[in-house]
Amino acid sequence: MNAATGFWRRGGEEVSLARLYLMRATALLGIWGLFATVQTLFVHDALDRGVHKALIGGLWLMAVFALRYPLKMVPILLFEMTWKLVWLLAFGLPQYWSGTGSPRLGEDLWSIGAFPFVCAIVIPWGYVWRHYVRAPGERWR
Amino acid sequence: MTAPAAPQELSLLRLYVLRAIYFLIAFGEGSQVVPALFAHEPTARGVIPALLSGLCLLCLLGLRYPRAMLPLLLFEMAWKYIWFFAFGLPQYLSGQVPPTFAEDFPAITFGVAIMPFVIPWGYVWRNYLIAAGDRWR
Repeated sequence: MNAATGFWRRGGEEVSLARLYLMRATALLGIWGLFATVQTLFVHDALDRGVHKALIGGLWLMAVFALRYPLKMVPILLFEMTWKLVWLLAFGLPQYWSGTGSPRLGEDLWSIGAFPFVCAIVIPWGYVWRHYVRAPGERWR
Repeated sequence: MTAPAAPQELSLLRLYVLRAIYFLIAFGEGSQVVPALFAHEPTARGVIPALLSGLCLLCLLGLRYPRAMLPLLLFEMAWKYIWFFAFGLPQYLSGQVPPTFAEDFPAITFGVAIMPFVIPWGYVWRNYLIAAGDRWR
């Protein structure tokens, strides 16, 4: 840890230690929160479509990687924020306002609809800006 | 032709293969799933179209940064393999399939078949398995 780096300050590092812990805590939250769905991959109705459960299973696995490599797995956090925001704008809010929605709307509004705001706090935007916007793209020739 | 890649690098051919897949997901899969965001039953739960549309959107970023966005492709491969082994294959073998099976099985099995050839495994091994993790203190 160099002189300018502290728990809260990134100094010469990509992000602060506090940020890494926040990102790891989010990964842990995912591992814990999605585990119930992961179990249904093994025990489920024979005619279950399964796409939803498989997608959640994939995310769960990515969260395990994010515990060790929070920065390299930032694309998954961006993905989390994006799809949940898409859900909120295309399904959650219109259904909430119209008063007609899926039977699980109330539950989803919390577990999905609130999450883009959590992601917005957790994502290291400076890092994203440096590596996913300003960085020169990969070579084409 | 392409020079041998340095350990941290990928060959130009591999970059193009990755970009082709990002493109395929963004536009091929995107053209299937994005319309469902705008035209759907008023009571649709919407989780699957939202997830897949989010993936398609972020794959656009993969065209510019094929290496940095690799976690997206790992996710794409992971969920398709999970589906194939937990749902698709057992249902196919038992002959008892849900009504969506005819649509899901070919689309997802295609991913199962091609993703292992797309992912740069050496790079993933070096960077996502044996590389030192981010610091803890």
